[in-house]
Amino acid sequence: MKRFIVAAIAALLSISAFSQTLSEGGIKATVVSRVGRTPIAGANVELKKGGVKMQELRTGNDGKFFFQDLANDNYSLIVAAPGYTETQVNVTVEKGLVRDLIFVTLVPASQINEVDDSSFGEFDLDDSGYTDTPTILFASNDVFTNVAGYGFSAVRYKNRGYNSESQEVYLAGVPMNDAITGYSPYSLWSGLNEAMRSKESTIGLESADYSAGGYNGVTNISAMPSDVRPGLRMSVLSNSAMYRFRFMVNYASGVLDNGWSYAINASARIGGNDWIEGVFYRNFALYAGAEKRIGDEHRIALIAFATPGERGAQNASTQEVYDLMKDNMYNSNWGYQNGKVRNARVRKTFEPVIALRYLYTPSDSFEASATLLYRTGFNGYTALDWYDAPDPRPDYYRNLPSYFFMDDSEYNRSNVIKYGEALEMWRPGVASNANYQHINWDRLYNVNYNSPDGRSKYAQEQRHVDQNDINLSGSIKWNLTELFTVTAGINGKINRTRNYKKIADLLGGQYYLNVDQFAERDFASNAALIQNDLDYFLEHGEAEKIGLGDSYGYDYLAQIRRANLWGNGTFNKGNLSVTLSAALGYEGFWREGLVRKGLFAGLDDDGKEIFYNGVLLTSYDSKGNVISSKGKSEVSNFLTGSAKLLASYTLSGGHRFSASFGYFSDAPTFNQAFVSARTRNSLVDGLCNSKTVSGDLSYQLSTGGYNLRATAYYTKIMDQTDVMSFYDDSQQSFTNFAMTGIDQRHVGIEFGAKMPLFVSGLTASAVLSLGEFVYTSNPHMIQTVDNSAEIIRDETLPYWQSNPVFKKNSDGSYAYAEDGSPIVEKTRKHYVPSTPQLAGELALNYRTNSYWFFELNGQYFAKSWLDMNPLYRTQFAVSGPDGVATPEEIEYMTTQECFKPCFLLNASAGKSWYIQRKYNIGFSFEVKNILNNRDVRTGGYEQTRLISTSSKESYKKFDSKYFYMPGINYMLNIYFRF
Amino acid sequence: MKKIAIISAALAVLCSCQALKEEFQPVFTGSYDNPEPYTWYSDSDFSNIVSIKDLCACYSKKNPFVMPGSHVSLANAVIKGRVSTTDRPGNFYKSLYIEDGTAGIELKIGKNGLYNDYQQGQTVYVKLGGLSLGMYGYKDGNYGGQGMVQIGYEDPSGDYETAYLELSKLIDAHILRGNPADIRIPEPLVIDKESGLPNSKTEHQGKNGKLGRLVTLKGLKYANEVFCLLYLNSQKDKEDFANRVFLSSSNNSDPTCGVTTLAMSETKMTEYLLSGAWDQCKVGSGSNYAKDDQGNIITIGSLKGNGRYPGVEKAAYSVSQYFKMGSTEIQIRTSGYCRFSDYEIPEDVLSGKRAIDVTGILTNYQGSLQLVVNSAADFVYSDTKEPLYN
Repeated sequence: MKRFIVAAIAALLSISAFSQTLSEGGIKATVVSRVGRTPIAGANVELKKGGVKMQELRTGNDGKFFFQDLANDNYSLIVAAPGYTETQVNVTVEKGLVRDLIFVTLVPASQINEVDDSSFGEFDLDDSGYTDTPTILFASNDVFTNVAGYGFSAVRYKNRGYNSESQEVYLAGVPMNDAITGYSPYSLWSGLNEAMRSKESTIGLESADYSAGGYNGVTNISAMPSDVRPGLRMSVLSNSAMYRFRFMVNYASGVLDNGWSYAINASARIGGNDWIEGVFYRNFALYAGAEKRIGDEHRIALIAFATPGERGAQNASTQEVYDLMKDNMYNSNWGYQNGKVRNARVRKTFEPVIALRYLYTPSDSFEASATLLYRTGFNGYTALDWYDAPDPRPDYYRNLPSYFFMDDSEYNRSNVIKYGEALEMWRPGVASNANYQHINWDRLYNVNYNSPDGRSKYAQEQRHVDQNDINLSGSIKWNLTELFTVTAGINGKINRTRNYKKIADLLGGQYYLNVDQFAERDFASNAALIQNDLDYFLEHGEAEKIGLGDSYGYDYLAQIRRANLWGNGTFNKGNLSVTLSAALGYEGFWREGLVRKGLFAGLDDDGKEIFYNGVLLTSYDSKGNVISSKGKSEVSNFLTGSAKLLASYTLSGGHRFSASFGYFSDAPTFNQAFVSARTRNSLVDGLCNSKTVSGDLSYQLSTGGYNLRATAYYTKIMDQTDVMSFYDDSQQSFTNFAMTGIDQRHVGIEFGAKMPLFVSGLTASAVLSLGEFVYTSNPHMIQTVDNSAEIIRDETLPYWQSNPVFKKNSDGSYAYAEDGSPIVEKTRKHYVPSTPQLAGELALNYRTNSYWFFELNGQYFAKSWLDMNPLYRTQFAVSGPDGVATPEEIEYMTTQECFKPCFLLNASAGKSWYIQRKYNIGFSFEVKNILNNRDVRTGGYEQTRLISTSSKESYKKFDSKYFYMPGINYMLNIYFRF
Repeated sequence: MKKIAIISAALAVLCSCQALKEEFQPVFTGSYDNPEPYTWYSDSDFSNIVSIKDLCACYSKKNPFVMPGSHVSLANAVIKGRVSTTDRPGNFYKSLYIEDGTAGIELKIGKNGLYNDYQQGQTVYVKLGGLSLGMYGYKDGNYGGQGMVQIGYEDPSGDYETAYLELSKLIDAHILRGNPADIRIPEPLVIDKESGLPNSKTEHQGKNGKLGRLVTLKGLKYANEVFCLLYLNSQKDKEDFANRVFLSSSNNSDPTCGVTTLAMSETKMTEYLLSGAWDQCKVGSGSNYAKDDQGNIITIGSLKGNGRYPGVEKAAYSVSQYFKMGSTEIQIRTSGYCRFSDYEIPEDVLSGKRAIDVTGILTNYQGSLQLVVNSAADFVYSDTKEPLYN
């Protein structure tokens, strides 16, 4: 028996040996870069069979590899190279032949594609609070970017602390950043995940084929029908933190034999969520595109898409309110109307985009493209408006217990009995309290019912920002030699945006009156001054009565013209790559008032002063210029430009080093340029370009399943302008802080690493973002209110970039120097707000050969700071009514609030099945914030009001308002494809 | 594996069905039915309606109390009255008066825009239990006298005898509306003789039912005196004599100080200031004038800098005019925030050639009678009955 076994083994071994010797099959190819098809030297190619590594080799200088003597079987190749995204290719060797794959193309790691939503839930973060923009638009195979883009979004992580406007977003080669604000316009295509999936992105300072790029990455969404994944796909997604369901269907033909490609993508996102009452989605999305390939040289495509819909918004409240309601997700925007939840703040949008794109590829070494793109439609946001009636917001400070009693006697709030009554009114879970803890719609209607002449005292307004935006872009890419590639292009934009508000609901009344109610209080004696539309008043002798859908309040056009010329030159030789990029641009904008406001009447159409009842209405600013609300403002012109140098060097063994440096001169945006664009043509004094210098150094390692990137960066942004507007209920008006000369410094490191562990399919990854994003100047600030020409404050903010911390004696009192001045112990920096400056993640990921995947990750976030209010950083605020600034007042008023650090645990799992090799069904399920951490602040702001203390010696601040992250929540995605 | 897929799908469908009910009803409709009008109250809803005069009679000076207190008659009591004031033109602020034919009383509700919720002429019922009955404006001594009995909330600080209700839930629990279709503004009582006026030194609503009610005072003559109090800095103590100026008493040569308007808006006040008409007026109160470091009396003119008066222009102020019925001076209280504050008193009234009839709420402040009008339409000429202001 024993002999028999030995013989059998020997026979088997010999058969195996015989078969090996008989193997003649093989696999060969050239590994090339997707950019320029240049060969990649030193790429690591792993050959696997059934998940087991068979062989490994590196490509030569020509990028070629060749595995010989392979038996007939199914193999997989894992190809990795530093600076490139790892790729896997499945190859079947048959009939003992050598399979020549010709090219294995690697995508540069900086140009990365969104992760398939079969493995991840989906990045679909819309404005649940006050911002419309996600942190990073894409996920990728770069470990750091993947985690920062998706995993960190729950805490509103901002890449390197930069604002959204620094993140350039292109669609079909056209720059899409909002012309007014500069924000990335994600909401234009949210819900069209399939149609917009194909995209290329770079990070940091890297340039791209369609732009010279800025300092915070560039993304281009292809949107071409031929780039949409062919086939029919359907999915249902449910989640508990944003909207209940998303239904999506997508069909793409791929490139047909006749050269045509079609694609259609539609989705609906509907329902509320488990965490924030009143927040709902009713959003739809539709994309359709057709493309014709004519010969090998021409491609022409016409696409159109829109995402019409409505969604209810969340509001920030003070901690007192959250504590009273025992719920940090309390939303003051809604109330019951006839027992139904109704949200007062609903964003209603319909902004269709249509684009015509042409691509010309006469040879392998040259391609050119041109796109004409038009965006139109409306973008409205409802809010309550009221006239001479009590503030309807349930969390208005006079409704809260703290308004009646505070422990600190300096507040002079001592009515403990009413305090008790207020506590009772805010006791959660008491049905009779509902109309006091939320908007009391029934009361608003009843007030209007009883208004004797049908005049609505409460109404719902809809603030519109309706854009008409036409763009023409063209670019070329030319591989001049194997060593040198040039990309260049030109973009032009004409934008005309109408900003106005209209009546969305009269709430049971008949009309609303078009007057400025605060002006009415101050200028009661002159009916002309209170008019929002003076021309109407002068013509008709009375204020305009506004019906449903009519515009009122303010109405003006933002006119923007922009042109940009850019070019990149890339030199590749061996392991060295150097790119030089430059751009030159023009930006011009002006405001065009469509109505004449009584307070800022300006000159009449003949250029003469305007009088009413003998009183001069025309007013002048301190320089003697007419303050005008109607007509064209001065045109602001800016010359912009940038220059960048990028270099990378690759060493054998999968190491890559790169460095970038750039200088940028950017124009201020329209919304940063007018002291109060709603009411007048006055520009902020001292408008100028912001200047940015930025540089980074990176090291990357990519080999044998290990993937690592470490980057250090430094950015200084100078001379920024900003206009912040807040509703100030003491003035019943918007108050505006126009700031100039804001400087920031962003320094930090990014680290991401992924490594295989001891079990096949199990990997671990670690990500760290550590930065210091600080203000480095004390800007100049001018404060105005919408309903007065008066400049309320005009001063430099002495406590914007930092505040002093004074030395204290052992008894806790402040220490003073001999000259009587308090001793400064140290200076406390002020930080760029609303993003964690320390963020980290550790994750374990397990994938099986049967298409299961599991992930568990822990995240830590710290050093996130509250948005600062300029008023609290003035000498006025720290000095108090008595004009004396004490150390205590300075520290109290100017210190910036830091949010508590937090730890989050998340897990996900998924599986897909192939049916008859034709159909694919699967799901992914993700649970976020498993520890149900409900006190994670993601943002907020300081209010703008000051309270004079009873001693009249100092001011107290109003409580800040905050946004919180939801507790434990899930996302389930079920999909079907064929 | 197929089982898992089927279970997942079934779970999703189940979730959908449950969620459909709660999620999509308001979301998909997008429109909301108008709410029903308020339910309203009538006498039959209450068992113990007491008169305002009887209620006020329960008050004794300096003894505010939370009702019913020791008063058996106030157990489960309500008062009923029609709203006699409106805060729409802005001369009443955060409170309203009701009257029932026996007297009138102020309800210190503590919200602005009250006319939106309680129309002038509408009946309201006030549930007294838990509210505070107190007085505003009482002053001891020879020059003092009675104030007005009011209904408000308890003020434990003791600063005032009553506080505003302010909290919506408190207001809704105590101030109940009558039929909104039954609107009748109370007919004003007419007082055309000085002897018909209440005794401001000794009487409040509990003794004289004319107080707190809408009255028409006939034949009023301009008293050639303005009440005008300016502050130098709103953020500083308003009781500090160095922070205030009583215009008429600091400028004895002309107690009107050139003011010819009923009151003054902020714009009008600034106009007067910038004209320099008040530059000679002294800072201080009574004969206690503020002095600078050199011992010179500070005048408004000395505060001027660069052609402006930075502190005074921003600070609070109060302006009203005095009229006379016989020898009794009656201040017609007008707010600078009301819409008719800048209305000019006609020349023939200022000169004393013509008398006027004025309708308003008759009140008592520290033993002096005051009249608070609802609107500019409340002023008419005594002879022709034509309105002063159209």
